[in-house]
Amino acid sequence: MLKPEQNDYVTQTGPGTPMGELFRCYWIPALLSEELPENDCPPVRVKLLSERLLAFRDSEGRLGLIDEFCAHRGVSLWFGRNEDCGLRCPYHGWKFDVTGQCVEVPSEPAESGYAKKIKLKSYPLIEKGGVLWTYMGDPAKQPAEPEFEFCTVPLNQTFSSKRLQENNWLQAMEGGIDSSHVSWLHRGDLSSDPLFKGAAGNKYNMADLSPVFEVVESDGGLLIGARRNAEDDQYYWRITPWVMPTYTGVPPRGDHPIHGHFWIPIDDHNCWAWSYDYHPTRPLSDTEVQAMRDGKGIHVKYVPGTYIPLANKTNDYLMNREAQKAGRTYSGVEGIGMQDASLQESMGPICDRTKENLVGTDNGVIMARHRLMRAAKALAEKGVIPPGVNPEHHKVRQAALLLKRDVHFKDGAKEALVAKKGVRQTSV
Amino acid sequence: MLSESARMTTAQEASYRIQYPNSKRRAAKVIALDRTSAKIVDEVSRLPWNGASFFTSLSFSAKGSPGAEGGEALQAWLNDLAGHAMNLVAEVASSDFVVVITAAGEDARAVSIIADACKLHNKSLVGLVVPRDGASEEAVGESLNHLRPYTRMLVVASGVDYVEAMLTALRA
Repeated sequence: MLKPEQNDYVTQTGPGTPMGELFRCYWIPALLSEELPENDCPPVRVKLLSERLLAFRDSEGRLGLIDEFCAHRGVSLWFGRNEDCGLRCPYHGWKFDVTGQCVEVPSEPAESGYAKKIKLKSYPLIEKGGVLWTYMGDPAKQPAEPEFEFCTVPLNQTFSSKRLQENNWLQAMEGGIDSSHVSWLHRGDLSSDPLFKGAAGNKYNMADLSPVFEVVESDGGLLIGARRNAEDDQYYWRITPWVMPTYTGVPPRGDHPIHGHFWIPIDDHNCWAWSYDYHPTRPLSDTEVQAMRDGKGIHVKYVPGTYIPLANKTNDYLMNREAQKAGRTYSGVEGIGMQDASLQESMGPICDRTKENLVGTDNGVIMARHRLMRAAKALAEKGVIPPGVNPEHHKVRQAALLLKRDVHFKDGAKEALVAKKGVRQTSV
Repeated sequence: MLSESARMTTAQEASYRIQYPNSKRRAAKVIALDRTSAKIVDEVSRLPWNGASFFTSLSFSAKGSPGAEGGEALQAWLNDLAGHAMNLVAEVASSDFVVVITAAGEDARAVSIIADACKLHNKSLVGLVVPRDGASEEAVGESLNHLRPYTRMLVVASGVDYVEAMLTALRA
């Protein structure tokens, strides 16, 4: 349960809000590289943290993320012409470069220097791991580039997708650290999804529907361990890392690629659900990549030409009551990603947490909210750099392993929880 | 025409959610397992709560345990902030859930007696390990080993402020 003012505090990420300022301390995923595939390609509208922006790749491959609207009369530069190292407004020909600097005002003599005095707000945009990342905070405090393992392995070992999710980022992110829902909502998929099935660890998931949880704070966020009974005086542990503010890792299964998410606020009522899959030591197979493109695992099928899920609220998520009754899907919605999204969107644009009734096993969610609010307050009042900004905090890995019952997972899985180049994930 | 899901997930529709209390007051029993955590519990108890009861120590008079065979003979008391000794089994029986708090490295073995009482009455037990000045990682591990066999949820917090945050979130 949160008080109304706490719910506002932790869900609002627009400019000037405490949580918005927190988000503006981090590099966040803005677009997929495929959205700006070549020099002088069409610009793309981007809304992040309640700011309307426009991304483009200029004639020399430089990336820009600038205010969407022309400084002259407020026209959307999405209609602009991307040419000769700049984006030209089609209304009166004003031209801007990737830094937002106006470089040409045709109606004014070039010698007047008028253009030099016009500049659109812009943010840095960098390419890493097939993702274009931006930093929307104070330029003087720009942190080092992100080092999450999925974006540092060779490109043939990683795959990322994104989908529109029409609700506040927090209720989506909370699903990522709430391991207890997996045995219910996704139970039908463990044995059938090509990116999940066949792992030896699945039998523990299915045999024990009441996992026991341990939550431990880490330098960058949290480690959430879910344990189930296993043979020989052991526990089967599934350990989910959460790196502030919004990165989560799903514990692996067998040799399947490792996956996880970011939930990035578009505005307070919408977010991008980013999904990554990678393997630390081998290229993804053609079959695996095809499965991801086909919307298997944590990815989704799209409405063609968009990043809107094919099953979405406008078609009632293609609800199949027959499949629900037969147990092929637990909720009647197909696919892990949309099983989550359909329920999270049903909470409403911003979940009313004043009415919820949390239980002890929700401590992962409680702790995450607590850390977010604590960090936002420390940033606002004392300028403390929040956890998760330091790229060292990104070098965590999710893990699944068997440990003796008297071993604390943080100790027993110490090595497994660190991303190491060329070392395979720890998985069962 | 919009689907039902599309119409029902708007902010406007959210305003039509029925406003009423959807839960009754729950009785949380918050028990300190050692002297360090007793101070924390004492402090937290002074905040306004929704029916939670706070206990700063446990005492018992015989070997055995209330949930174990022959354990009915065990006499165990929880000591509340006013200095009253309350019967452990009766307190647990009247609870909705029980939270035990220990400071890293302190002796938390008393949890087994509380856990047996919880088992006897099918009550959920949450364990919280809070920091203690100078406590090592090993000390945290020791505390976890004491609590792990008995709790459904075990939390290691880096600050004592989490006690209040967690209890508030649980509507204690």
